[in-house]
Amino acid sequence: MQKRSDDRLIAYLDGEVDVAERRDIEAWLDTDPAARDKLAALAESANLVRLAFDEVMREPVPDRLIAAARGEAGSAEPSAKIVPFKRGQGFGEAPAARSWWLGLPVAAALLGLLLGGAVAYLSVAKLLPGGIGDKRPAVEMATADNLWLDNAAGYFKLLVGAGDGALIDVPATGDPREALQKISQSLPQEVRLPDLKPWGLSFRGARLVVAEGRPAAQLVYTTDNKAIGPLTLIIGSSKQPDSPPALARRQDVNLLYWRHQGRAYALVGQTDIGYLWGIANDIAWQLDAI
Amino acid sequence: MSIRFGDQLIAVLPRLRRFARGLTGSAVEADDLVQAACERALARQHQFQEGTRFDSWMFRIVQTIWIDQVRSRDVRKESGEVAEERLGTDEPVRRVEARLALDEVRRAVGRLPPDQRTALLLVTVDGLSYKEAAEVVHVPVGTIMSRLARARIALQLQLEAGGGMRRSTNDAEAQ
Repeated sequence: MQKRSDDRLIAYLDGEVDVAERRDIEAWLDTDPAARDKLAALAESANLVRLAFDEVMREPVPDRLIAAARGEAGSAEPSAKIVPFKRGQGFGEAPAARSWWLGLPVAAALLGLLLGGAVAYLSVAKLLPGGIGDKRPAVEMATADNLWLDNAAGYFKLLVGAGDGALIDVPATGDPREALQKISQSLPQEVRLPDLKPWGLSFRGARLVVAEGRPAAQLVYTTDNKAIGPLTLIIGSSKQPDSPPALARRQDVNLLYWRHQGRAYALVGQTDIGYLWGIANDIAWQLDAI
Repeated sequence: MSIRFGDQLIAVLPRLRRFARGLTGSAVEADDLVQAACERALARQHQFQEGTRFDSWMFRIVQTIWIDQVRSRDVRKESGEVAEERLGTDEPVRRVEARLALDEVRRAVGRLPPDQRTALLLVTVDGLSYKEAAEVVHVPVGTIMSRLARARIALQLQLEAGGGMRRSTNDAEAQ
């Protein structure tokens, strides 16, 4: 006969005892009112735990999870209305000279000038000569069913939530080009690495994700400047026509995304949209210029 | 990707969400966790052995990712999240009370150590046998048994201390 204990009562409740032990426990329960009370209390608490989580089973499964299960997490096109920029000298056209250095005074100006997202954008737009000053983004907020953006934001949050680069598939140890080469082996197109050191952002590594239904690279950048980083840049291939940059917000994450010459890009972070525009402008120039 | 694999994955999503909700204590984090598990499963579907339980394999992936996350950060649970989500509803008072009582149960589960919480969710909530749960978390059956017993006793004490158990039972019946 095994020792009479709560463990045995629990195993009995769970149907995890053999016939002999069952008889023994039932004999114990027949003669011990305290054991019966204990068993009733254990059964009651187990029932409550089941009830507490059963409502999840009645909830509709989010589309993004169904898409993820089908391996088409990034395949859906944005259903949100996106108001394009006016075409100018910035995205899609390489400027005459690299303007990354403009980002620093812009960033400094933003710290002092900007309190809100919309104000931030307008301010940086005015400060950037020949950049995005004559463009108007669609600050498109949290519209449903946009899987591509939902997933880009989800990838960012997963990465940040995991912390310390826990989810990075290919860490940037030593030469960062090695990480790029490794991740590029799994992609239809080679990935190039934008240098964001002028923004204080260090490349930490890359992760393989899905964008528009195809493998894509999620490049991870971090910085000590909490006003900017961390940031991720998703670069994937796309069969969609070029599209100008547009802003979106998913949960508490800002995204700036565009398509250019068969590639889809999404710059993702929790930083101010002014920074996103400046950094994305720099990325667009670098990748066009390489 | 084989269609059958994707179908199996979709079929098990509700249970994975419930398991992940219990682990994380947050609806958003739970769905992020399940999404990450789906991605990993698809990337490693060649590792799944036909003839073995697909749900157990997926539970193991969810649990592994979650443990990695727990180890790499302090999980700050938003214990008031569920209750706050309910505010402002026009549900009858009794039903709201029932929901809040079950929130109390969820919070009590959330206070359990991760290994005990995992055992409780797999066996008591999802109905896996001790052997199946042991296979999911790669520990001996005896370890699952002791973790589960500690979880159940700790949970019961927490609910009794909070006066929630009898109230919860009564209120749950109102749902």
